Amino acid sequence: MSRRQFDNWLRATIASVRVVLRKVFKPLVVVAGVSVVVAGCATNAPQDTWQPKGPNSKLIDDLQQPVFAVAGIIGLIVAVAVIYTMIKYRDRGQPIPEQIHGKPALEITLTVIPALILAVVSVFTFGAIFKLAKTDDTQMIINVTGQQWWWEYDYPAQNEFGITQPIITSGQLVMPVGTKVLLRETSRDVIHSYWIPALNGKRDAVPGRVHTLRLEADKPGIYAGQCTEFCGLSHANMRMEAVALSKEDFAKWVANQQAPYVAPAKETLAQQGEEVFLNQCVRCHQVNGLMRADGTPAIAAPDENVWSGAAPNLSHLMSRNTFAGAMFDLLSKQCRDEVWNAPSEVVGAKYLAGVTEECLNQKDLRAWLRNAPEVKPMYANPADLAVSNGKYRGMPYLALSEDDITKLVAYLITLK
Amino acid sequence: MTDVIHGHASSTGISNVKLGMWAFLGSECLLFGGLISTYMLYRGRVTGGPRPSQIFDIPFTSVSSFVLLMSSLTMVLAVSAAHKDDDRKINLWLTVTALLGATFVGGQVYEFTAFYKEGLGFSTSLFGSSFYTLTGFHGVHVTVGIIMLMSLVGILKRSSVPGKKAEVVEMIGLYWHFVDIVWIIIFTLVYLIPV
Amino acid sequence: MAIIERPAPTLPAIVTPTTTYGVLKRPVSATGWRSWVFTVDHKKLGIMYGATAMFFFIVGGVEALLIRLQLAAPNGKVLNADLYNQMFTMHATTMVFLFVMPMAAGFANYFVPLQIGARDVAFPRLNAFGFWAFLFGGIFLNMAWFLGGAADGGWFMYAPNSGPVFSPTNGVDFWALGLQITGIASLTGAINLIITVLNMRAPGMSLMRMPIFTWMITVVQFLLLFAVPVITVALFLLSFQRNFGAQFFDVAAGADPLLWQHLFWIFGHPEVYILILPSFGIVSEVLPVFSRKPLFGYPFVVFSGAAIGFVGWGVWAHHMFASGLGPVSVAVFSLTTMAIAVPTGVKIINWTLTMWGGKLWFTTAMKFAIGLIVLFTVGGLSGVTHAVAPSDTQQTDTYYIVAHFHYVLFGGAVLGIFSGFYYWWPKVFGKMLNEKLGSWNFWLMVIGLNLTFGPMHILGLQGQPRRMYQWTEARAGEGFFNFAFWNLVASIGSFILAVGILLFLINVVITARNPQKAPLDPWNARSLEWMTTNPPKEHNFDVIPTVHHLDDFFHQKYEEDATTHIMTQVRTAEEIMAEQERNAEKHIHMPSPSYWPIVLAFGLPVITFGLIYSHLISVIGGVIVLFAAYGWALESSTAPDSDFENNSPGSGLDKVTANHD
Repeated sequence: MSRRQFDNWLRATIASVRVVLRKVFKPLVVVAGVSVVVAGCATNAPQDTWQPKGPNSKLIDDLQQPVFAVAGIIGLIVAVAVIYTMIKYRDRGQPIPEQIHGKPALEITLTVIPALILAVVSVFTFGAIFKLAKTDDTQMIINVTGQQWWWEYDYPAQNEFGITQPIITSGQLVMPVGTKVLLRETSRDVIHSYWIPALNGKRDAVPGRVHTLRLEADKPGIYAGQCTEFCGLSHANMRMEAVALSKEDFAKWVANQQAPYVAPAKETLAQQGEEVFLNQCVRCHQVNGLMRADGTPAIAAPDENVWSGAAPNLSHLMSRNTFAGAMFDLLSKQCRDEVWNAPSEVVGAKYLAGVTEECLNQKDLRAWLRNAPEVKPMYANPADLAVSNGKYRGMPYLALSEDDITKLVAYLITLK
Repeated sequence: MTDVIHGHASSTGISNVKLGMWAFLGSECLLFGGLISTYMLYRGRVTGGPRPSQIFDIPFTSVSSFVLLMSSLTMVLAVSAAHKDDDRKINLWLTVTALLGATFVGGQVYEFTAFYKEGLGFSTSLFGSSFYTLTGFHGVHVTVGIIMLMSLVGILKRSSVPGKKAEVVEMIGLYWHFVDIVWIIIFTLVYLIPV
Repeated sequence: MAIIERPAPTLPAIVTPTTTYGVLKRPVSATGWRSWVFTVDHKKLGIMYGATAMFFFIVGGVEALLIRLQLAAPNGKVLNADLYNQMFTMHATTMVFLFVMPMAAGFANYFVPLQIGARDVAFPRLNAFGFWAFLFGGIFLNMAWFLGGAADGGWFMYAPNSGPVFSPTNGVDFWALGLQITGIASLTGAINLIITVLNMRAPGMSLMRMPIFTWMITVVQFLLLFAVPVITVALFLLSFQRNFGAQFFDVAAGADPLLWQHLFWIFGHPEVYILILPSFGIVSEVLPVFSRKPLFGYPFVVFSGAAIGFVGWGVWAHHMFASGLGPVSVAVFSLTTMAIAVPTGVKIINWTLTMWGGKLWFTTAMKFAIGLIVLFTVGGLSGVTHAVAPSDTQQTDTYYIVAHFHYVLFGGAVLGIFSGFYYWWPKVFGKMLNEKLGSWNFWLMVIGLNLTFGPMHILGLQGQPRRMYQWTEARAGEGFFNFAFWNLVASIGSFILAVGILLFLINVVITARNPQKAPLDPWNARSLEWMTTNPPKEHNFDVIPTVHHLDDFFHQKYEEDATTHIMTQVRTAEEIMAEQERNAEKHIHMPSPSYWPIVLAFGLPVITFGLIYSHLISVIGGVIVLFAAYGWALESSTAPDSDFENNSPGSGLDKVTANHD
């Protein structure tokens, strides 16, 4: 090929590429380019699956990143190959080509290559599957029970962590860092799924079955999660937060959870609030150590009122940062941000400070007490309860007066 | 050219109706497969009411199973009569087959009534729900078979069956044999294998 | 899809059925609405399937737009939680069961007999019944909207959330029973098409000469044949629990909720291939035509399609990687899922190589087909990332999955269907869709779908779960490109997509009004359906063709130069047609219209309606079904010889197979 021929060929090729690009691919290229740039910007979403914060999620991430990369490259190759073919063989008046029916050798090669890539991927996948299913290296057990639309955490007695009697809590899963925690999940009604993306993949909580999920956090911090198996009306509002504390801070948390009940001082608003609580709330919500006026312990009986059989235990409520299935914060926006954004060395101390009077998110708490089904969709309308034998699915409207609500809030803030 | 587009030409050599019935029965395998799997999963799950071993009357069910098996034999005789175009015998054997089938369904009705009296309702336990569903589905299949057989007898009397007589008899025969074979499997899995 | 009146077909022999064995006289009218309602013509039924499916596509699309409106901003208020849950349940149910499946059934009905050189399907009345059952089932499913609320458990309808306590309206009952009816439609359709393909091929049309579309449809019908009964069992268990107090999913009685999941996905995964393979078939027709080359590696494409059909049965539990299966099961299903990627990849490679070395003609049909190759690949590759089970536990039930299956089903199935519209429109309606508008239609859809579903990858990986009626700023992340941005982009994209589809509908109307007729062979096509008039005569072919090649029509038009391998045209389509008309067979005996299919199909929703409201109504429905079944059985599929004029007994009349379906 002479110099001039080559030049002509080059010019013709470039011209034709340009034509096709302008006519057909420009929009596509622009869209693709913009998407890539934009996707690169990290947003620090709390549930980002590409930001592992513990060994289990790290294991998954190490496995998936190369797969994403290979998939991306193959996708690009296919796109480029298709576009190149489109340009090269567009109709330029050439005759109808030879009717080739295929080249088996080429096709077998092109079949074997992806098969080999997948074979390699599957080897690593197998390794990860079995590592993530291990349960014999567990250091701590927490029972997790899903219910429409909140999670209950039940810490069985484990002396090495100072848990001498079971702790029952909800809203936030509190765990020590650097500890291999095993969740034993189940459900009281429909299927839910427990998912803290920074710590591990998700695992369904199925009624009648117990499934295990390994969790371990490298550093103290708060890790967000969300129920990921569709569980009915308020599925969107069933959230979770895993709080990882240093071992010392965790011991303090345990000690506080096991601290005895402190009744509010006499003749205070809080004491009147305790009465309201005994009249209304204790039908479903347990506060350990709470006594009735006649000196008998107040025992909640949620199974008589709630279809699924339980309601959150409110002992030490103000040691948590959330309520109503972690849908609402007990902390005001500013205080919440302070805890969430705290560096890992101090997050424990901030968290253990609990909810102070200044930090309490009065607005949402009062709205909840005023009319819970209005702020969180639940089956609490008596007309809908025929099939569940009159039992509620979620907190009902209690017709509390504003006065009673004020008293109740004053009481709840004492549950440190 | 004519022979290809004429009448009942088919690429496989099997008529459409027969091939269609085979396809349908293939589908039915998966239907009973699903129901049997459900039963096998749930047969030991009894939270209330009687357990399988407490209510099954194996000799009784064995007899009714035998009756159903015999009906397959009479069905074969009906098909063979159809091939010989012997209308009297077709009628005879179809009727006998239907009667044997009806005896089996009668036995099942009796059995269900007896079980119900012994405390096994449809919603008593998982065993009850899945037992009645599986055997009930089979019973409905037999009943549909009986209706088809008797309808065929009626239509033959009017001697106005559209299409080839032997083919229709054969097609219903396929269905009938299938339902019998399924019962053999159900009888073995449900009644004979202890929980 | 508009139904365009076409000129009444001219029959070589006049058929006037006069006798009947049924209870009612046979319908004989060949014009007006009666000619559609009582028809057994596979082409009319194909158009009816298409028009109905298009209607449900619009219904499902409006549901999708409402969903995107709700999610455009945090704490959306367009829909409440209850309505949102109904909306996404019915969006999926509608798109899967009432749009893609029947649309594929429409294409299959119309083109399979034409492609194999047959005059009708094996069981014409069963075919009509299938359509009516689908239509009535679809209406029944959607009736729930007006009777207390539609189903709200998601299209996967996991137990126990589908139980009477957790879903107290009648929505789930309508859903379960409605799907039983459409299931019956699918089953009868499957049997019909399988037998048609097995038994009614033209002489010389061996299996390995069948057009690839017919092949893929055949694989799909086998999948349906075996998958439908599994969902039938699951739906029966659900209905028995809700309506008759059975305990199948009652955990307190010891039930295992995973039973439903296994049954559902044993059906559900083959269902995915039921949705996608017809479109694979369509683009495998379109790409060779517009590349002027045969499909590269035809046997590979056939066998990879069959392989997908087989392996598709062994991958169902990959929908359940997070459901608590043991690690061994997870590993096995992870492996099979990766294995199924291989035959799928084969198709992508073969399509690309089909274009390679060709003479490409970028019509709208071709653009949609190429769009499918690229966009389906995106969906296929994201599928591989969740074949890696541990990685799937991060992705499942997030928007990443929503992105994945929309690239597969929209980028794959729907683009394939639109490719089919543009390719076959002149064949079906005798007019060409406007290509310019088609180009706009294509680009708006492609841009719209990438804007809608592309960002969902990012949303999912950033942790936004699916099926949430609202998303919260508390989980949205920081900066400009947070959930708010991507959700808004997706919502805007969905409306661009909707405009693209609207352009198609406008194109249909414009085309219908345009008097210009399509040429006989507008695309210089390759397969038998083009070897007849546009639209085809009622009896499809004046002479049943005898087949010598794969792509026989092309080889009748072109001959290869032995040394240069260059193809030169030796005959035009018009010449081939003229020759056929000269040799037209004198007596063609077509199946006659019937009342029974629609009557029988009507009985089904009456029965199911009664199961929900009053068993007395069910009894009435049962009587209708029985009555129609007897009428059906007593009437022969084709009117007898005595109904024909110029009948000369014993002359060996040429006629199409008469069946008793």
